[in-house]
Amino acid sequence: MTRAGAWVRERQATVSAYALCAVLFAIGALHSSGFAAASNIRQLLVFASFVGFAALGQTLVILAGGLDLSVPWLMAFGGIELSRLSVSGVPAVPAIVIVVAIGLAIGVVNGIGVTWLRVAPIVMTLAIGGLIQSYLLAVGQLKSTGDQVPAAAVDLASNRLGPAPVIAVVWLLCAVLTGVVISRTAFGRRVIAAGANDVVATLSGMRVARVRVATYAISGAAATFGGVVLSGYVGTTYLDIGAPYLFTSIAAVIVGGASILGGRGTYWGTVAGALTLTVLSALLPLFKLSTAGLEIVYGIVILVGVWLSSNGRTALAGLGRGSLRPPSTQEVGSDATD
Amino acid sequence: MSATATTRRRGLALGLRRRWSPGNLVTAGILVTLAIVDVSIQPALANLVQIGLLLQTALPLVLVAVAQTLVVLVGGIDLSVGGMFVVANAITVVWVGGAGGAHQALLLVALAAGLAMGLLNGMLVVGLRFEPFIATLGTWTIFNGIALTILPTDGGTPPPMLTTLVNGTFAGIPSSIVILAVIFGVWRGLRATRFGVRLYAVGADDERARLNGTPVRRVRLAAYVLAGLCAAIGGIYAAGATQSGTPTAGDAYILTTVAAVVIGGTSLRGGEGGVGLTIMGALALTLISDIVQAVNFAVWVSVAASAGLLLVLVAARSLLEIRLQRRRA
Repeated sequence: MTRAGAWVRERQATVSAYALCAVLFAIGALHSSGFAAASNIRQLLVFASFVGFAALGQTLVILAGGLDLSVPWLMAFGGIELSRLSVSGVPAVPAIVIVVAIGLAIGVVNGIGVTWLRVAPIVMTLAIGGLIQSYLLAVGQLKSTGDQVPAAAVDLASNRLGPAPVIAVVWLLCAVLTGVVISRTAFGRRVIAAGANDVVATLSGMRVARVRVATYAISGAAATFGGVVLSGYVGTTYLDIGAPYLFTSIAAVIVGGASILGGRGTYWGTVAGALTLTVLSALLPLFKLSTAGLEIVYGIVILVGVWLSSNGRTALAGLGRGSLRPPSTQEVGSDATD
Repeated sequence: MSATATTRRRGLALGLRRRWSPGNLVTAGILVTLAIVDVSIQPALANLVQIGLLLQTALPLVLVAVAQTLVVLVGGIDLSVGGMFVVANAITVVWVGGAGGAHQALLLVALAAGLAMGLLNGMLVVGLRFEPFIATLGTWTIFNGIALTILPTDGGTPPPMLTTLVNGTFAGIPSSIVILAVIFGVWRGLRATRFGVRLYAVGADDERARLNGTPVRRVRLAAYVLAGLCAAIGGIYAAGATQSGTPTAGDAYILTTVAAVVIGGTSLRGGEGGVGLTIMGALALTLISDIVQAVNFAVWVSVAASAGLLLVLVAARSLLEIRLQRRRA
């Protein structure tokens, strides 16, 4: 019991992110019976996976003390370059591999700029994003064919594996892998050490620069892959397809309880953040809220979510032993009395 | 008292040295080069009216970038500048019919909204101790939503008074040139006040500033509030210049303002740089897109040139810095 209590306390930020997500989902399910239907849940999972992929690398980058603003352009690049390759006759699977590999290489460039050139992450990834954008604009002008997305990407985004969408299963596997990498491997510990205090990390013999470059590379690959899947789902590609993910990829990480300064956070928290943001955007139309209302509530939820993940326990303790407390903190409370 | 005096003396010394630092000369050099290129491509540009029109397209970015600079100087970042811009933009154009003759009141509402939004950002950062990035990430989307609520689609009409001001002249000089001069003049004035010095002190090292007796929290709050005001003025001006409101125009400003600030040479770490540099950065970005349009190149060239300039400049600056550090060590 005490161990369970300690487990919860250690992961308080992640737990509160899942609690927020569960509360929002419960509100939707109570309000309309269709919200908890299998088809709706499947759709939510697919949408959440796009955010999840965009935020996967972002989590690692932020953990290591950086930030990746090139994510939306990498996503647009993923879709557009894939359709270009498949129009010129490259089979789908190699094409996806090539595109993701280019995304990885762009991430490496981001990483080199941030580490060896010591350019601020915001500026470096912003400039690289601008260069990707200009490439996509140039390509858009040259092309004569429509933006067809290869069937493999469409299948990936729309097929099902048993009850679950294929892409959600892929996301779950990636999440498990990322979670294990962050918490159980030397690389994960180095990422967190680099973000927590890079001077100490350097002095203790760690190659901080290499670790950081690796996080940007992963972010490049993951965001590009997210773009491939997203364009497969939408069925077409366009320049602004990734635009919403500049905001959501960072917001998911932060709502998931990670520190924007690095050194603290988990990918499981980000998964909760991605689910929370997706449930929220599906929830608001039920209450007849327009896009404008959605944006306002989005912002408030992010601020409240971040505030809760850093001050949540104190706030809940202040509320006393009310019956409305989430189960996690009740568990902590009963541990204390035991 | 003596502590403040020392701060001021140091501030002034810094100011004097900065004016001649190679970094500023590089920014000025780039701006002059771009201006010469632009004028040689289109010789018609070399008269007051044409320059006025060019500055008219540059001013919204200049104003929003100035807002960003104030926050960056105190070591923060403001992702919500675009949001504050569109809220003021929407307020300016939406109620002209309803407000009857009281158009001035409408402009005051837009300015007050800017102050209020800046205050909200400042209170989140200073009062609730949010990271600036997170606080303004949240308020960015909140402000965007508010703008869309006020003005759901592009359109509306700005008050006639504003249109006259934006397109008018002062003693034969187009108002955009005068406004730019006023912005710079106000900044030079502010820079010389105690508040101006404190702004740099807080950004350079807030712990030392606190020990020197600077009210760090109040200075930081004021920077965010002033940023709200500047972004709102930008929104009002854009409404006058384009003759309508665009509630979705804000997002582009997040990245372009950071680019203008950095190209100008203000350090994102805070305490270094200034509004004058940012004005040069924003004008350089405007000239790039003007040149690209003039020679009929595609849009991607302009995007690539802006991003390329940003990249080359920051890389060159930081390589220089690394070399200086090595030499000292």
